[in-house]
Amino acid sequence: MTILLTNSAKGALSINTPVMPAAGVFGYGDEYRALIQVEKLGAVVTNPVTYSPWSPTASTRVIPLPAGVLVHTGLPNPGLSKVISAHRNLWSRMPVPVIVHLVVGSPNEAARGAERVDEEDSIAGVEMGIADDIDVKDAADQVRAFVKAGEKPLIVRLPFGATADFAEALIDAGAGAVVLCAPPRGTARDASGRLVSGRLYGGLIKPLVLRLVGQMARRLKAPVIGAGGIMNPQDARDYLEAGAVAVQVDAVTWTNPKMLEVIARDLGGLVVTQPMGALPDEWYPGMGDTERMKRVSDAETPDGERRD
Amino acid sequence: MKTLILNIERVRRVNETHQHVYLSYDPMLLNLKAGQSLLARVGEVNDPFLREVWHPVQVSKSGAVVERPVTSLYLPSTPVEVIGMIGQPFRYRRTLRAVLLIAYETPPTALLMAIPALLANQVAVTLVLLGSAAAYRTEHLPPEVEVIAGDADFNWSNRVTTVGWADQVFVAVNPADEMTCFRKVWRIFNDIRADIPKAYLFGVFQPIMPCGVGACAACTVKIKGGTALACTQGPAFDLTEMNLS
Repeated sequence: MTILLTNSAKGALSINTPVMPAAGVFGYGDEYRALIQVEKLGAVVTNPVTYSPWSPTASTRVIPLPAGVLVHTGLPNPGLSKVISAHRNLWSRMPVPVIVHLVVGSPNEAARGAERVDEEDSIAGVEMGIADDIDVKDAADQVRAFVKAGEKPLIVRLPFGATADFAEALIDAGAGAVVLCAPPRGTARDASGRLVSGRLYGGLIKPLVLRLVGQMARRLKAPVIGAGGIMNPQDARDYLEAGAVAVQVDAVTWTNPKMLEVIARDLGGLVVTQPMGALPDEWYPGMGDTERMKRVSDAETPDGERRD
Repeated sequence: MKTLILNIERVRRVNETHQHVYLSYDPMLLNLKAGQSLLARVGEVNDPFLREVWHPVQVSKSGAVVERPVTSLYLPSTPVEVIGMIGQPFRYRRTLRAVLLIAYETPPTALLMAIPALLANQVAVTLVLLGSAAAYRTEHLPPEVEVIAGDADFNWSNRVTTVGWADQVFVAVNPADEMTCFRKVWRIFNDIRADIPKAYLFGVFQPIMPCGVGACAACTVKIKGGTALACTQGPAFDLTEMNLS
């Protein structure tokens, strides 16, 4: 199954499975290698990267909430060039496309980012994070500058609450697809009583975003990627049913890493093609290490010695 | 890094504020060292939403013992899904005779795993409980551990002697305001000692960890020349290498 993720005239990005991690939850690609089979995903979306280095916020970063969590990291990263240098080899070996999530502050930064990313074959596309408080003209200018300066397919992640008109303006400016949407912002008290603002994650986000996806997917001329509050395969299917071409999975990757892979397997068509006699942990989490142990025992001779 | 499903075998209250939860055995647990922890989720429900950081206090072939506050209810035979191991072991000096463990405005749970191995290697251990940490009762700790209580201004009896006598110091502070507390620790140790050598004074970070694998960047700390992640490179950082500004 091949899914066209962007309709960029410059170069369309296609994936095999309509499931990927959301920006900010999966690191730069290999952090979860011991817990998740990356090849089952459709793509990897990196942590947010800025053109210049950003430092972590000095305030509280994580506030647990009754049904979710508020996170405010300040997007610490060493800057686009250093991130690319550090991960180029990893990304070129990745079995799935790597989409770099780029945060820009101006059209000039967008253009410089596009030029830098264009030099890297290991990067399949860029997801541009649009600031929450930006007006539509400035956002469109950033998109236009990126598209003009670079050749990579561009996805834009819209802020929570963005309207269809806002999305259309960015698509007209050259965005090949839209992610609906960035986690909403909220404010909560930390353990010491200070009010902290940050992004909200949790299952309650899904109904809010699902409605937006349903409204926008019918209207927009570009593919829509649903993101927010996905906790299980059914949540992801709901987004596809609402018109999204793919989904991004966020905080459940932290709370239950295997669930990201399970959702990818489920929506990637693996379940319907499940062969007779397949081992259950090929499909569902928490079933132990049956498959791995079977492979190990298959590789062993009856007296316990490995064949190789 | 691995996901394990363990059973709660036994729950024992050790003092007014904490309980010990005995987890079933898995070979991976034997690799747990002081400083390392587990990210745990009890049952299938996401409540609390994020996994909790569970600090082991003892590991043996019969399983691991973790220390948890009594405000959480744990029942024997309940399955617990853990991701581990989180973090790096404490870095000890080769020639180590005396270690000072300091808990400031936080229970000493994150430090306790160090005690059995240090005592087994004939290393003297002093545990200093400062501020609200002094409310932590220590009757369940081995009698060889010297326990000293102090106030929230970092005053305790024989302070200069204990600091001078220690070969290494590990400090855990209130997680709600770690950087402010570590700045205070740094200032006070600078007052007490003429110089603070490398690999002497360690801050033990206890951030809330959404992922535990270095993906979310929520536990980023500033070090000289860049940043580090408490979940993969910590939790203990040499304060001489940290950017405390």
